[in-house]
Amino acid sequence: MFKRLILEDSSIWYLITAFVTAATIFLIITWRAVRMPRAEVDKFAQLPFTTDADERHDPSA
Amino acid sequence: MSGQKITIEYNDRVVRQFLLATVIWGAVGMLVGVLIAAQLNFWQLNFATPWLTFGRLRPLHTNAVIFAFVGNMMFAGIYYSTQRLVKARLASDFLSSLHFWGWQFIIVCAAVTLPLGFTRGKEYAELIWPINLMVVLIWVVFAVNFFWTLARRREPALYVAIWFYIATIVTVAMLYIVNHLSIPTSLLHSYPVFSGVQDALVQWWYGHNAVAFFLTTPILGIMYYFLPKAAERPVYSYRLSVVHFWSLVFIYIWAGPHHLLNTALPGWLQNLGMTFSLMLWAPSWGGMLNGLLTLRGAWHKLRTDPVLKFYAAAVTFYGMATFEGPLLSIKSVNALAHYTDWIIGHVHAGTLGWNGFMAAGLIYWLLPRLWNKPLYSTALANLHFWIGTVGILLYVAAMWTSGITQGLMLNATTEHGTLLAYPNFLDTLNTIRPMMLMRVIGGGLYLAGWFLLVYNFYRTVKGAAPVNGTIEVYDEEPAPDGKLSLAGTFFSAPTLFWFLAVGFGSMWMFGADLVSTTGIVGAVACLIAAFALVPSRSKAWGGWYEKLLLNALPFTLLVFFAVVAGGLIQIIPTVLVQKAKNVEDRIQTPYTPLELAGRDIYVREGCYLCHSQMIRTLVPDILRYGDYSRLGESIYDHPFQWGSKRTGPDLARVGVKYPNIWHLRHMEDPRSISPGSNMPTYPWLLSHRLDASVLPAKIKVQRLLGVPYGPLTAQQIFDSVDEQAKGIAKDLRASGGYVESDQEIVALIAYLQTLGKALPVITKSAAH
Repeated sequence: MFKRLILEDSSIWYLITAFVTAATIFLIITWRAVRMPRAEVDKFAQLPFTTDADERHDPSA
Repeated sequence: MSGQKITIEYNDRVVRQFLLATVIWGAVGMLVGVLIAAQLNFWQLNFATPWLTFGRLRPLHTNAVIFAFVGNMMFAGIYYSTQRLVKARLASDFLSSLHFWGWQFIIVCAAVTLPLGFTRGKEYAELIWPINLMVVLIWVVFAVNFFWTLARRREPALYVAIWFYIATIVTVAMLYIVNHLSIPTSLLHSYPVFSGVQDALVQWWYGHNAVAFFLTTPILGIMYYFLPKAAERPVYSYRLSVVHFWSLVFIYIWAGPHHLLNTALPGWLQNLGMTFSLMLWAPSWGGMLNGLLTLRGAWHKLRTDPVLKFYAAAVTFYGMATFEGPLLSIKSVNALAHYTDWIIGHVHAGTLGWNGFMAAGLIYWLLPRLWNKPLYSTALANLHFWIGTVGILLYVAAMWTSGITQGLMLNATTEHGTLLAYPNFLDTLNTIRPMMLMRVIGGGLYLAGWFLLVYNFYRTVKGAAPVNGTIEVYDEEPAPDGKLSLAGTFFSAPTLFWFLAVGFGSMWMFGADLVSTTGIVGAVACLIAAFALVPSRSKAWGGWYEKLLLNALPFTLLVFFAVVAGGLIQIIPTVLVQKAKNVEDRIQTPYTPLELAGRDIYVREGCYLCHSQMIRTLVPDILRYGDYSRLGESIYDHPFQWGSKRTGPDLARVGVKYPNIWHLRHMEDPRSISPGSNMPTYPWLLSHRLDASVLPAKIKVQRLLGVPYGPLTAQQIFDSVDEQAKGIAKDLRASGGYVESDQEIVALIAYLQTLGKALPVITKSAAH
C-alpha cells in the first residue's frame, strides 16, 4: 500500500506541494481579510471596549 | 433593540483564584529552575538524595512552569476576557470551581510524584497515568464551561482572542490524549503504546505543539485582548490578526519533526518539519508586528506604565523566539545547535520573555480591577521589569554563547575530518562553565523580580475587598440569518474541497501504483474545479465564511480538522509502516527482564534529560559515539529515549565501550572516573534492592504492545533476573566492586551494557 518515500527522488515534490498548499491557504485568508468591509473590521476591533463604559466593580458576594 | 435590560455579574472570583495560583506556582517553578541550573554548576547541590537530584527535579521545573504557572495564568486571562467579550457570566460556578481546584490538585500530585521518581519518561509528558486521566477530565470541565459560556453569549461576533482560545482547547486535548496513550502495569506505572521512532514522532508532535498551543496560542489570545485594553486603543490591524490566526492553525501543527532532524526519523518527515517551520516566520512576525504597532501613539506611556513595559517586551521576545525557532529548524543550523544549550536559550527567551512577561503584565493590570484598589507600588513593578529584563538577557546570552561553543567544539574535527578536535566530552563542559554560572545569575535575577511581584501582590490585596465586574446589557437573540448548521458547515464547497484535497494529496504522497495515480488525478481535478467555480461562487463562499465566524461549534470543528490533518498525515504512515517487521539493516533485541528493570531505573532517574541515545547521521557524531543509530535499534523502546540534550555524552552505543566495574564506579562517584564531570552521584542505587516482583506485569504489557517476549512464567522471569544479576555481581567482584546481586545498580548496569548491541536483520534472500 505504501511506497518507499526514503529512496524516492520525487519526494521533493511533496515538499513543494506542502509549501504551495500552505501558501495558497495563506493567500486565500489574506485575500478574505483584506476584503473585510471597514465597518466590520472596526466593529470587531472595538469588541474589547464595548463594555468598558458600563462596567462597574461591585464588592463580591 | 429587542429584549430587556439585564444585569450581569461576572465570575471574577475564579479569575482571582487562578491569578493567585499563578503567582505562587510561578515562584515555585522558577525557584526549582534556579536550583537545577545551580546543580549543573555545583554537583554537590544534588545532596546525594534521590528526590533532590537534577533528573527528578528537572521535570518538576518544566511541568511547574508550563502547566502550573502558564496554565493558571492562561485560565485567568481566558476567563476574564471571555466573559467580557461575549457579555455573559461563566456558564457554571460549579464547573469553574471544579476546574480551579481540580487543576491545583493535579499540580500538587505532580509536585509529589515527580521528585519521587514516578514518571513516564517523556519530556513535558512525565506525569503518571492516573494524573493524566485527571488532566483530561479537568480539561473537559474547562472546555464544557468555556463552550457553554459561548453558547449563552449575548455578543454574536467572536473576537479573534476567542478564536485562539478555541484552537487551544481542541488542539491541546487532541495532543495530550494521543501522546499519553499508555497501558498501565500498576497504579503508578505504565508503558506508552508507541515505541521507538513512532514514540519519537508522537512525542515531538506533542512537545512542539505544547509550546505552540499551550504557551503560544492562548497567550496570543490574551495579547489581543489585554494589550489593546492596556494601551487604550484597538488592535493595530484586525485583518492581520485574522491572517495570524489561520496561518498558525494551519502551519504550526506540522512542525514537530524539527526536533528530530538528522536522526533516524524518515527523511520526508524531517524535510516536512523543516519546511513548515520556516513558513512559521511569516505569521509569527505578522502577529508580533501587530502587537507592537498596537502601541502606536502610546509609546510615551511606557515610561511610566509597567504593564505596557511588560507587554511591549513580551511581544518583542515573542518575535525574537519565533525568529530563532525556524532558524534552528534549518537542518544545517540544527546540526550545530541540537543537543546544546542554544536550545535552552531559545526556549527561555520564549518562556521568560514571552510567557513570564505577559503573565506579569496581566497580573499588574488585573490586580487593581479585581480588588478595586490601586497597585501598591508602581515603582516596584518597574523595578521588577528591569531586573527581569536584565535577568533574561544574561540568561539568554549565556546560553547562546554556551550552546554555540558546545556545538562548535563537539563538531570540530581535524586531520581532514578524520579525527575529533576535542575527543574528551568534558573539555566542552569545562569550557562552558562560566556561561552556566551566568545562567544561574540571570535566572536568579528573574526570580528576584518575581518575588517583587509577589510582595506587590500581597500588599495590594491586603485589606482590599475583592470585587466582581457587572454590566447591564440587552438580552438579545442572535440574528437568525447568522446561523450555520452542521450540515451547512460540512456540505459546503470550501469544506468539501479542503477534505478532498487533503485526501487525494495524501493518496498521492503515500500510496503506491493505482492509489498514487488516483491521488494525483483527484488532487488536480479538485484544484481545477475550485478555480473554475471561483468566479460564480466566490460571493456565496465569502458569505459562508462570514457565517462561520459567528458560529462557535462549526468554527471549532473546522479548526479541529485543520489541526488534526497535520498530525494524521505524519503519524498514520509512521505508525503503520515503521514497525519491527519492516525494519532493515539492524533490529533491536528485546531486553532481558533484568535489563528491562534497569531501563525503568534509567527512566526513573531522568537520565534521558542529560544523555541522548541517538547518534545522528553527522560525521562528528559518528566519530565520537560510533556508527549512526538505525531506526530499528530502538523499535521496541516504550518509551523511546533518544533525548533532546547532551549535558553528558550520547549513550546509544555505551554498551560496547566499558566494563561493568566502570559503570559501578561512575554511578557511585562520577568524578573518580571522569574528573570535572557535573553528574550527580547515585549512592542509593547501591543500597536499594530491586523490586523484581513487578516484572511479570511489565513484561505482560510489553508483550501486549508487540515486543516479542516468549511465554515466560513469573518464575522464569525471576530465575532469569537472578541468573543475569549474579553473573554481573560476580564480574564486579572480580574487579573489586562488592555489591549484592539484587541491588538496583546491577540492573542498571545490565541495561547500559546492552545499549548498542542490536542484531543485523536477516532477510529472506540472505537466509536461504
